[in-house]
Amino acid sequence: MLPDSKPAEWHIASILVHLRPERRDDVRAAVAAMPGVEIHADEAGKMIVTVEAPDEGRIADRMTAMHLLDGVMSAVLVFHHVEPAGGEAEEAIGSTGT
Amino acid sequence: MLDRRDFIKAQAVAAAAAAGGVSLPAMAQTSMIAGEDAQLKWSKAPCRFCGTGCGVMVATKDNRVVATHGDMQAEVNRGLNCVKGYFLSKIMYGQDRLTQPLLRMKDGKYHKDGEFLPVTWDQAFDEMARQWKRVLKDKGPDAVGMFGSGQWTIWEGYAASKLMRAGFRTNNLDPNARHCMASAAVAFIRTFGMDEPMGCYDDFEHADAFVLWGSNMAEMHPILWTRISDRRLAHNHVKIAVLSTFEHRSFELADIPMIFEPGTDLAILNFIANHIIKTGRVNREFVEKHCSFRLGQKDIGYGLRPENVLEVRAANAKDPTDSKPMSFDEFATFVSDYTVDKVAELSKVPKERLLALAELYADPKTKVMSLWTMGFNQHVRGVWVNHMVYNIHLLTGKISEPGNSPFSLTGQPSACGTAREVGTFAHRLPADMQVNNPVHRSHVEEGWKIPKGLLPGKIGYHAVLMDRMLKDGKLNAFWIMVNNNLQAAPNTNTETYPGYRNPDNFIVVSDAYPTVTASAADLILPAAMWVEKEGAYGNAERRTHFWHQLVTAPGEARSDLWQLMEFSKRFTTDEVWPKEILDTNPEFRGKTLFDVLYRNGNVDRFPLSEIDPEYENRESKAFGFYVQKGLFEEYASFGRGHGHDLAPFDRYHQERGLRWPVVDGKETRWRYREGYDPFVKEGEGVKFYGNPDGKANVFAFPYEPPAESPDKDFDLWLVTGRVLEHWHSGSMTMRVPELYKAMPMAMVFMHPDDAKDRGLRRGSEVKVVSRRGEIHTRVETRGRNRPPRGVVFVPWFDSARLINKVTLDATDPISKQTDFKKCAVKIVAA
Repeated sequence: MLPDSKPAEWHIASILVHLRPERRDDVRAAVAAMPGVEIHADEAGKMIVTVEAPDEGRIADRMTAMHLLDGVMSAVLVFHHVEPAGGEAEEAIGSTGT
Repeated sequence: MLDRRDFIKAQAVAAAAAAGGVSLPAMAQTSMIAGEDAQLKWSKAPCRFCGTGCGVMVATKDNRVVATHGDMQAEVNRGLNCVKGYFLSKIMYGQDRLTQPLLRMKDGKYHKDGEFLPVTWDQAFDEMARQWKRVLKDKGPDAVGMFGSGQWTIWEGYAASKLMRAGFRTNNLDPNARHCMASAAVAFIRTFGMDEPMGCYDDFEHADAFVLWGSNMAEMHPILWTRISDRRLAHNHVKIAVLSTFEHRSFELADIPMIFEPGTDLAILNFIANHIIKTGRVNREFVEKHCSFRLGQKDIGYGLRPENVLEVRAANAKDPTDSKPMSFDEFATFVSDYTVDKVAELSKVPKERLLALAELYADPKTKVMSLWTMGFNQHVRGVWVNHMVYNIHLLTGKISEPGNSPFSLTGQPSACGTAREVGTFAHRLPADMQVNNPVHRSHVEEGWKIPKGLLPGKIGYHAVLMDRMLKDGKLNAFWIMVNNNLQAAPNTNTETYPGYRNPDNFIVVSDAYPTVTASAADLILPAAMWVEKEGAYGNAERRTHFWHQLVTAPGEARSDLWQLMEFSKRFTTDEVWPKEILDTNPEFRGKTLFDVLYRNGNVDRFPLSEIDPEYENRESKAFGFYVQKGLFEEYASFGRGHGHDLAPFDRYHQERGLRWPVVDGKETRWRYREGYDPFVKEGEGVKFYGNPDGKANVFAFPYEPPAESPDKDFDLWLVTGRVLEHWHSGSMTMRVPELYKAMPMAMVFMHPDDAKDRGLRRGSEVKVVSRRGEIHTRVETRGRNRPPRGVVFVPWFDSARLINKVTLDATDPISKQTDFKKCAVKIVAA
């Protein structure tokens, strides 16, 4: 899975975050400040976030960091997709489709 | 027009919104496309980690797992994945994966002090069989044993049970689930006459209150925690109470947070029972119709070696399971000692919080779900504390209906399916039958088509006793499969390691990776894992789920199923069965154990042609019949017709699991209640049919202190457990670089003032020392786990810092499960 000369990759994941509604502003600020992270929707204690990174380790780090934020109850992964950083999908090795 | 990345991003967002039930602006809603997925083959499988039983979709390409994601069609997780599930695709590809058998050798042959050298499977099994035969000849069946796992697939556990009990004629078979949920299993049987929860995960969407008894679901069961979070966020009236001996991530959602003194959960539960009775909220009709009351044995010791002073001093260490009938009024008097004042003082939980907690149970309008895992089960009074939570659900009739649910969570993917349902404990047979019951044994002998009287009736050694017997030289040939016992067992330096290196003993470890346990063995057998074989697991809510073999194992690695069955060919009945049995059953003479156990007309009943041609099946090809199907159908025959009913084999390959009993093709979500459970007849309402009188047992037990408490020399409580990133001993998750980096070492979490008093601070190098051993690590005073003063927490995933050198091997005297949550330590600068 991890050859020595690993070609540049682009990873994207979406994460569902559950948070205490009264802590929404703090959580929003903390999540938005994470590199590569974008907030797409936010209602009634739930937030939909995407994370973009050059490797899945970075995505896992962000997800764990979110899970451990004050005011957050959980952060779980829904979707993950990888493709060569060039943008052409010659060999995508992971995506959701069901 | 969207560019490709925007498009994929929109897809990611849409998937998350659908999974989370969040509405999106119309623009962002795109349909899912498969596109490049066409190159990949996607198949379903349950996650290989915890007992939650999440469904994942697994993509393979060129005989390799290349991606996984949460299965949208799986009811358990509905497309969600935790961080461990995220890295499932990597667990098989660690660089130090074992790919050939390794035997300790000197001068070209086996030597206990030799170096590990590669051998063929034939050489490995030759030596192993030679050792087994030596031990059987010298000492008899009681000197051989096997330690298995709640990570075995259902058929692996079943094949192991047949080999040990009917082949070698010993019940020295125990799973690592003994360390994990024996207390829960024993209390289920004693209360309801049947193992496993009456409710299911659907209760999450029906309860008005959730009470976490010691469980840190936010880190250990993150996907189930999202279901609770969802319920709490969508319904303002929903309350969550979190009880623990230290503050952790689940407190983020707690309406009633409670830190209690270790061991006083017993007193808190008796207080709740007392509160229910005193405030007149007992459901009288339910109690009269459906409950029996019993006074349990007290002062039962701590499951230590019999010569230990604590055992000698205990009045009833020899018969801890005794009980006698009592009346409801006597029960009420018994718990009346547990007043709010007394229990607040003992537990250090403020009175208002105790009362608020008790009201969740007492208020007839509140549907309450109780949840627990190791906090209850790894407890020197683990069976008692499980009984006590049933007590408060039974007194109020809050049981066996949507939202009213005492729910025992599990830690391993098939602790229920394999350890409990198949019966791989030293005292159990399939479908809740017991080895010391002659009627049960005879029934199993018929089902297995083996001679009458062959199965031994003596209960075998349990996990901790196996370690003691290895050390004492009474157990000499020992096979460990799918678990890392040297890291997992308590007091491991004193009680476990010496047994592995005892020169009289031959230790075999089957694993995918060189764990500390494998390194201490004499023979290491490389194992296939997860989707490298066809498998089945049973999760915490009675859900049985299957998967196909999706890739082949590397090198010479083979599944445990193949190993067990192949090894059985090396023995003939004449070598291992008593002469009298063969004299009366001459047709069994001269046959191999393989012939009598697996070519018995049941297991070999289904031809290879019944295997789905889309998938490889190595074991079946090796033996010439559909092995998994034959084993499953023989096993399932024991449970059908009386409440343990499993569906036909093939159905499970089509479904995302089914919750037993499965009757007329339909699963059962709530047991023991009319309208939900097909075994409760019209007009019966509720029936606990596991017991002959149809009633559940309410047991009276007192509060008793732990085996070891802090004193002036060892002044802190030590609690051990897990963290989000690592699963159990870390033998798989530590090999995923991303998870390793996220949490590379086990630190000691402690209160900043406790650190300051000892001249320490965050990051200080320290020794955690008990009367048994010590480890070196660093202090953490911030972060996710925040112990109160007087308590420290150390996770056990880290093989470089084996906290189980420090823990005490005290066990629950009834369930024989170790208490990893309470012993006394001191912390000193290193």
